[in-house]
Amino acid sequence: MNSVDASEHYELGATDLSPSLLTIIIDTNPHAWALLEDSLPLSKAIANILVFINAHLACNYANEVAVVASHSQKAAWLYPSHNAPRGPSADHDGDVAMNGATDAQLPETNKYRPFRLVEEQVTRNLKELMDSTTGDDLRGNMSTMLAGALTLALSHTNRRTLAWAEEHGGANAEDTAAEGNGNGGTATTRYSASNEDERLQSRILVISVSGSTDAAHQYIPVMNSIFACQRLSIPIDVCKLSGDAVFLQQASDATRGIYMALTEPRGLLQYLMMAFLPDQRSRRHLVLPTRVDVDFRAACFCHRRVVDVGFVCSICLSIFCEPPPGGDCMTCGTHLEICDNAKPALLPRKKKKKKRVNGASGTGTPMSTPTPGP
Amino acid sequence: MASATSRPLEYLEGLPGTTFYKLYQQPSTALAIFRRMLPDLAKCFVMALLYLKDPLPTADLEVWVNSESKKERDNALSILGRLHILSTTLTSENVRAYMVTNPFAASLRQALMGAEDSHSFGVFSQAPEHTLTSIADLDEYARRQWEGVMGYMVGTSALSGQRDAVNLSKGVKQLLQAGHLVEIRGNRVDITKDGFGFVLQDVNTQVWHILILYVESAEAIGMDSVEVLSFLFLLSSLELGSSYDKSHMTPNQLRTLTDLADFGIVYQEDADATRFYPTRLATTLTSDSSALSNPVTGSLTGPAGPSGGTGSGFIIIETNYRLYAYTSSPLQISLISLFTNLKYRFPNLVTGKITRQSVRRAIEMGITADQIISYLLSHAHPQLRKHSAAQSNGKGVPASVLPPTVTDQIRLWQLERDRLRATAGFLFKDFTSLAEYQAPCQYAAEIGVLVWKSDRKRMFFVTRHEQVAAFLRSQKVGGK
Repeated sequence: MNSVDASEHYELGATDLSPSLLTIIIDTNPHAWALLEDSLPLSKAIANILVFINAHLACNYANEVAVVASHSQKAAWLYPSHNAPRGPSADHDGDVAMNGATDAQLPETNKYRPFRLVEEQVTRNLKELMDSTTGDDLRGNMSTMLAGALTLALSHTNRRTLAWAEEHGGANAEDTAAEGNGNGGTATTRYSASNEDERLQSRILVISVSGSTDAAHQYIPVMNSIFACQRLSIPIDVCKLSGDAVFLQQASDATRGIYMALTEPRGLLQYLMMAFLPDQRSRRHLVLPTRVDVDFRAACFCHRRVVDVGFVCSICLSIFCEPPPGGDCMTCGTHLEICDNAKPALLPRKKKKKKRVNGASGTGTPMSTPTPGP
Repeated sequence: MASATSRPLEYLEGLPGTTFYKLYQQPSTALAIFRRMLPDLAKCFVMALLYLKDPLPTADLEVWVNSESKKERDNALSILGRLHILSTTLTSENVRAYMVTNPFAASLRQALMGAEDSHSFGVFSQAPEHTLTSIADLDEYARRQWEGVMGYMVGTSALSGQRDAVNLSKGVKQLLQAGHLVEIRGNRVDITKDGFGFVLQDVNTQVWHILILYVESAEAIGMDSVEVLSFLFLLSSLELGSSYDKSHMTPNQLRTLTDLADFGIVYQEDADATRFYPTRLATTLTSDSSALSNPVTGSLTGPAGPSGGTGSGFIIIETNYRLYAYTSSPLQISLISLFTNLKYRFPNLVTGKITRQSVRRAIEMGITADQIISYLLSHAHPQLRKHSAAQSNGKGVPASVLPPTVTDQIRLWQLERDRLRATAGFLFKDFTSLAEYQAPCQYAAEIGVLVWKSDRKRMFFVTRHEQVAAFLRSQKVGGK
């Protein structure tokens, strides 16, 4: 009965807009940045990203930011530092002392204090991360820990969302979570329709440099993170500076984020400001750059190869690049009957399905769109 | 836009262009105005244009926005224009293009990148701390001062008998009087209609109201209003809980500081102290009211005892018009009693009922239904909010926090009395053709200034005419 009446009378409630949380995942893979050295060195990119973070914080008093580095052998927090209690006053042991020191030396470097706190922490943590990276770590390791970084970002987002909901007594987070589990299919529509404005608006931005084809071994955890984002309606925006990221295209496509491959990496700041700064509310009013031809290829479960056409277990939907040995599925153990003429019979059907999903694009397996129910 | 935003916005809009030019010299002012006064979409526009070398052609901007959101786009552009942030120029190809005006763009860039040395974000006090002032102390100080001001207006000193040790300075009383919030007859303080509206607003709006009164009166006592205004924006970008150095300040700023200390917006140990602390009232000036409602109103308007600050609201209202307020603050009780028939009072709770009679009494005093409702809404108990959030889950329409029957009825009771509403504005009439009438009328509706129109008489009424007139002119040029 309330819902009938409540629609138009109360403009007051709708005007208090909730702040947004932006989690930035910076791919710090040294190999990839070395290749970009001429056009956009890492230091310059970080400077641009910091200005972008400031712009995000400037948009709303309560906006929050988190930065994760997806390094070659681990994912690490750049801001906020989780190894110490949070908050500007009770930070790292060294942190307070350092702030005091910079104040004393350079009283004229005058900056809005929240901006400076983020900048100092990000640069310091990034330096620590780089110093701790040894040559041995890099040898033979060309990829980046994207899955770990995505998971860190997701858990942080979740924690902040719950904390925010609790502080504001607004949308009861436990209720929403419970309902989200109950009906997977309608979860997305419900989030976007009714209480989107009342929640903490969170999104994830991936600044990616390394080609994810070598990250195929992370296929399963990355896809799981993508599905989690899709469920929580957290868009994953991807800003691609070099290389080609198969899974990230799927990530932004599935979560309705923005995918942009920059042709001119030097203009990073302008791209960030124009395309990635608007939050979910503003995005409703804007025409956003999206990718039409999404690479939907998957990685096989047996050799982690990215495959165009493969074998799919009819029971658990695991993907294989060649018939599993002995005809037993390696995931669920079901014995699969594979006849010799299976391959040609499969091909035409797959092609047809693909056309329906993403038009006349190249090779692809339409597998990323459906959300698996629990 | 929230009602809290509109008042400072209206004031700023009324300022002449040169004032803006001077204001935008300060990075902190540019940042504060950007954050507080602009709608979301306008923020996107500014940020997108800020680091662009060449002006952005208008056509490109139009393409960037969804066709369904034309209204929001025009509204954002109109606000940006009124605040002198965005201007149109001609590019080399003779295309109309938007650009961010210069002192604003440079200052905002400075704020974001931190390359400036004008002390625009305050200077930390380097002097060793003798007595540490904690955030709780500051909150307590702000609450006491602000409640003192409110109490002075409502006259709770008579109600409670005992008076907190708040001595309002002469300046505060004069300011309240100059703003027509109170009238002083002999020894008695009478609250005016404006004053009633004022005390029911949320704290953020009240602070802005007072500050604008202060800026307006600054000229009269020989201070430069631009200087005072940019100092206020500077205050809003300081950090709670740290102390700032006073030695860089001009005499006028010091004077302002002393005056603001009376309101509890800043704290200084005494007028000669070398440093000052901003309180939460100052640091949340440029935040949204939602961000502010919890920490400040919790500690400011909540129960005055040590348990204050635990929750944001304390009022529960039921569908049968019964009202329960968990408060012992004499100020809050007297505010609630303005529109409620109070029945019982317990140590931490008062109960009462909202009746036709009590609401009419309030309306006769000059309080509007919207003010009552927004007061109830901003002080609603967390339990009410939780309930409404639970209700809204799974449905398309979010449930309201207050029972709709009650809010509707309060509005209806107001309508019983009040059937005329005056809006100042401009009438456009005598259009020769229907088409000529329709285009500007539609444009006015899109930028949100249209109040009334009659297709048959080919007339429409708007609150602001500059842009409609400019539109008419541009049409004329286009037509020929």
